[in-house]
Amino acid sequence: MPDASHVGRRFLASSQSVDAERVARFAAAVGGGGGAHEPGSVPPTFAAVYCLMPTLAQLFADPALGIELAGLIHAEQSFEWPEPVRVGDVIDSSAEIASVERRRGLVFVTVSLEAVTREGRTVCRGRSLLLLRGGEG
Amino acid sequence: MSRPTPAVGSEMTAMTRRVTQEQIAAYAEASGDRNPIHLDPEFARRVGLPGTIAHGMLEMAVLAEAVSRWAGGYDRLLELRCRFSKPLFPGDEITCTGRVVAVGAPPGTATLEVQATSGRGDRVLSGGRAVVRVET
Repeated sequence: MPDASHVGRRFLASSQSVDAERVARFAAAVGGGGGAHEPGSVPPTFAAVYCLMPTLAQLFADPALGIELAGLIHAEQSFEWPEPVRVGDVIDSSAEIASVERRRGLVFVTVSLEAVTREGRTVCRGRSLLLLRGGEG
Repeated sequence: MSRPTPAVGSEMTAMTRRVTQEQIAAYAEASGDRNPIHLDPEFARRVGLPGTIAHGMLEMAVLAEAVSRWAGGYDRLLELRCRFSKPLFPGDEITCTGRVVAVGAPPGTATLEVQATSGRGDRVLSGGRAVVRVET
């Protein structure tokens, strides 16, 4: 289980490419028709693909943290998009454990996220709150 | 895309979608989040759920569609946050609603309280807040 000693641990996902096919597949899965998707535009929560998943997958697999997927709850999410993401962008994403707290038998892990293009444009910042069951005390 | 004429208290255009297991599976592939809680009913039951549930991020993606459509495009959505307060089950509808709570702070933006409710009446996304650009 994560504890306070893991605060500051970072997970990097370099060179995440925003290619048209991945964007189209994502938009279709979200249910593009009737939404805001236009060819060439990138849904804001495509951040799941270029930032959230590739960094958090490493966090979930980190043997030092010992996270069980069965006891994991994604409780809260926030995003800011300082600049729009474009098809063709290549993005370096990072996640950092910002805090770990134990309360009522749950472990609350806050992760801060950042995504920066190769040109140095910050396209996304975010925060995930993860709840883990099975913490003692 | 139409431009909103936001005033404090005005309602965001509501958006309703039905989320099927096929869509959840497509989202798992498209996002890379293949946690079996979304895909494997047996696994979901072992962790105490009645069956598979939608990804919170899929619900948030639908919410982002609703806000972006109302605001006039993806590039107008500057911030979005929400709490995944109740599970959304395959076959359920999700309805996203919102209301403008501030205009012009920061300048050129509107802030909305947003949420999503399932067809069975559960508040699946709560504590939601969106900031959109209303001037170019």
